[in-house]
Amino acid sequence: MENLMLLAPEIAVVATGLIILLMGVFMSPRTKNVLGYLATLGVLAALVLTVQSFGTEATMFSGTVSIDALSQFFKLVFLAVTLIVSVASIKYNENSDHTEEFYTLVLFATLGMMFVASANDFILLFCAFELASFATYALAGFEKQNPKSLEGAMKYFLIGAVSSALMLFGISFVYGATGTTSISTIAENASLLAENPIGLVAVVLLIAGFGFKMALVPFHMWAPDAYQGSPSVVSSLLAAGSKKMGFVAAFRVFVVALAALQPDWQFTFAILAVVTMTFGNVIAVSQTSVKRMLAYSSLAQAGYIAMAFVVMTPMALTGGIFYTLAHAFMKGGAFIAAAAVVWMITTQRTGDLEVPDHLDNFRGLGKRMPLTALCMTIFVFALAGIPPTAGFMAKFVLFSSAIQAGMTWLAVIAILNSALSLFYYARLVRYMYFLSPEGKKIGLPFPYAAALLLSAAGVLAMGLWPEPFLQWAMEAAKVLI
Amino acid sequence: MLPVASLLILVPLIFAAVTFFTKTKDQAAGLAFLGSLATLGLTLDAYLNFDSSTAAMQFFESIEWIPSLGANYSVGIDGISMPLILLNAIVIPFLILYSWKEEREAPNRFYGLILTMQAAVIGVFVALDFMVFYIFWELTLIPLFFMVNIWGGEKRVHASYKFFIYTHVASLIMLLGIFGLFYASWQQTGVPTFDIRELVAQFQFLGSGLLRNAIFLSIIFGFLAKLPTFPFHSWLPDAYTEAPTAGSVLFILLKIGGYGLFRISLPMLPNTGNPKLMIMLLGFLGAFSILYGSLVALRQKDLKRMIAYSSLSHMGYVLLGSAGLVTLSVSGAMFQQFSHGLIMSILFMSAGVIQSSTGTRIINNLGGLAKKMPRLTVIMMIGFMASLGLPGLTGFIAEFLVLAFSYVNLPGFVLLALLAIVITAGYYLWAMQRAMFGVYNEKLGDVRDINSLQVFSMGVIALLVLYFGLNPNPVLNMMITSSEAIVSLAAALGV
Repeated sequence: MENLMLLAPEIAVVATGLIILLMGVFMSPRTKNVLGYLATLGVLAALVLTVQSFGTEATMFSGTVSIDALSQFFKLVFLAVTLIVSVASIKYNENSDHTEEFYTLVLFATLGMMFVASANDFILLFCAFELASFATYALAGFEKQNPKSLEGAMKYFLIGAVSSALMLFGISFVYGATGTTSISTIAENASLLAENPIGLVAVVLLIAGFGFKMALVPFHMWAPDAYQGSPSVVSSLLAAGSKKMGFVAAFRVFVVALAALQPDWQFTFAILAVVTMTFGNVIAVSQTSVKRMLAYSSLAQAGYIAMAFVVMTPMALTGGIFYTLAHAFMKGGAFIAAAAVVWMITTQRTGDLEVPDHLDNFRGLGKRMPLTALCMTIFVFALAGIPPTAGFMAKFVLFSSAIQAGMTWLAVIAILNSALSLFYYARLVRYMYFLSPEGKKIGLPFPYAAALLLSAAGVLAMGLWPEPFLQWAMEAAKVLI
Repeated sequence: MLPVASLLILVPLIFAAVTFFTKTKDQAAGLAFLGSLATLGLTLDAYLNFDSSTAAMQFFESIEWIPSLGANYSVGIDGISMPLILLNAIVIPFLILYSWKEEREAPNRFYGLILTMQAAVIGVFVALDFMVFYIFWELTLIPLFFMVNIWGGEKRVHASYKFFIYTHVASLIMLLGIFGLFYASWQQTGVPTFDIRELVAQFQFLGSGLLRNAIFLSIIFGFLAKLPTFPFHSWLPDAYTEAPTAGSVLFILLKIGGYGLFRISLPMLPNTGNPKLMIMLLGFLGAFSILYGSLVALRQKDLKRMIAYSSLSHMGYVLLGSAGLVTLSVSGAMFQQFSHGLIMSILFMSAGVIQSSTGTRIINNLGGLAKKMPRLTVIMMIGFMASLGLPGLTGFIAEFLVLAFSYVNLPGFVLLALLAIVITAGYYLWAMQRAMFGVYNEKLGDVRDINSLQVFSMGVIALLVLYFGLNPNPVLNMMITSSEAIVSLAAALGV
């Protein structure tokens, strides 16, 4: 009999989701606010259970699920994002009739991500991927009256479906060559893939499939539209959470299963990383919609994290893994801040209503919403890699690892990109603090404030006292190499 | 005993945080003044307890921070950092007094940024760990950027972005060098560490000469761009000129480039692959900056821009003296940093007053101001004279030491620099004559002299220039002790 207690965090999440779904049927829109708090509690419980289980190592269900430092670290990432998103969504879903659907989808998406983190088998990996993807497709189009939300969701869904097919196709090639779908068994029989041209085909297809989730250029077309169109809280989940799913899957699949083909995919990732970070930063400079700017900046960040696949030293993997957690807090928080501004603009009915997240709506935010502006400043400075924030530490470890491995060119490109990104982040800060406000001061609703403070605390904690997080990331990296 | 080094960072930082929340200008300026006085008190306390006879680190504190990367929070003060901390602590309170009567938007942010800047700069001076060092190094950018961007002149946006991107990129290249040093030493010893002194000591054992050259050059690039020196100076005239007076003075107090030179680059220099070549390179850049800066200054129409270029010229002495690698030339370079900070504060304050009372800084549009502004004229005269190297004032001692003792190793470059002395005297006297003396330009209308707060703050700094010019020992002694330690290292290696 399997020890189901090892899956306690997953069980907590799925149970909360089901309870919410059931309770929602019997509740009126006015009382449904409780569901948000319930979801938060469930996620918090799962988070505590995950942190408690650090250090456990086990495989379950005939070796398809593996509980190790890597899976637990990424579960921490996903749950942290979901926690922030559920807290902020309490306000977003206020007086909505669809609260229970929203939270159930969020929780099921989280469940899918958590299983991706644990998956040690291609079939489970694919199913978990799809679970998370379907839930997020629905969430992206949650605002049924908003054409932009629908457009984003449609694009996300169509490209997502194609990429799932590519991924499955890639998996079938791997299966064909090795006769197994178990990641550890594939790793043991790596020679079968390395000596067979089919291996190369599989690598190409898998990179395309995962590249879509990671939003690497040129598989990124959906990301700006989906991030901009989706409700901001959902964008937060997409950019900070579900994107990391692609990374953890790629870590397991490429670094562990396809290690024998390393020269092939390493080179590909080198090109993808450089193109992605440069493209993301250059395009972000000219954006006037803050959410769209954050979307492109998110591309750039994915490019940085992808450096871990290029450098491939324990230090680089530690940096990449550390970066995913840092990015979860920074980007998650930044989208929540955008959500707060969108909420302000739509309730006050002032400013640019057509594009509620327009840069102009951030004018004088420091006076209108001091807390939001302060937190947003922390997030964008962190994204730019300014000390003492999580973003600085993450870049410090990751970029320096490139130097360690002798890839100075890569570090130089990354660092120049980082300098370029400062331009558009600083512009946002300038709008918030140094242009005069167009409207009066507004009290920030508690859920948004709590979510912002949570993320800001994460960003600062990882920047000022990175030791425990680095240790966890190192443990996680050891699983891979 | 008090943890002075940490308090020197914390006190201005805490006062800055509180200042950001004040409502009126008097509250903001008052609180900032109080904070800077507290910092000055702490600095004087540290100075009085400081032992000038040893080059060892004093007031040392170390707390474990990120063991897995070998980064610690470690700070301390020695003869290289003490005079620069002193300079900052002395000038900032007077800067706040000087600007008290000026009208401006958002005074709480203005004074908050001044204190933040002070904390960041002192942080760089006391940091003994590369991680801490780099964090404060980058932190200095933010207050200066906003200072220029918000309260600057007409082309402030251009100037602020240029400054920011220019020096940020330079810092990032420096960061690459730090990474290289860190990993090469990790590979060598098997233990990661970010300790500055440890890494500098490790430097000689690392890899090939080529690698050491690359590390040395990329680190020193960050310092040279901050110093700044020809040809990495093009951000300077824009930023210094467009900044508000207080911002220009903060730029002047930003002595972190020269500091890095003494703390990190000079001890590394003898162990580079081609030390002779590096010395020639630094000596050339120094001497050429002196000459180039003075020539361009001669050509300027704008008083503030002239002072900015003269600043470039004077920072050349720091580089030339460092490259001289003789105890007294290095001490001269250190003293030049200290002296330049005091003198340029007076000059930028004077230019600021002229701008605000006459509405112009174009030298030819001024004239005969001495009649209307006698008090300013006296103080400005002291500044100009000190800057052109009149004996009895600080500038003379610094330049004399640098030129006389760099001649031992770099005679050619010293001769090049000597040319500039004449030019420097020329542009200062010429500017003085056109702006302050002669017939009063009636178009300027009724011009008022500086107020008593400004007389007091500028006057005290001018008196200090005189005092340290007559008796430099209180700061020069500790500089000599530290330079001896640096130079003996080089001498032992036969460079």
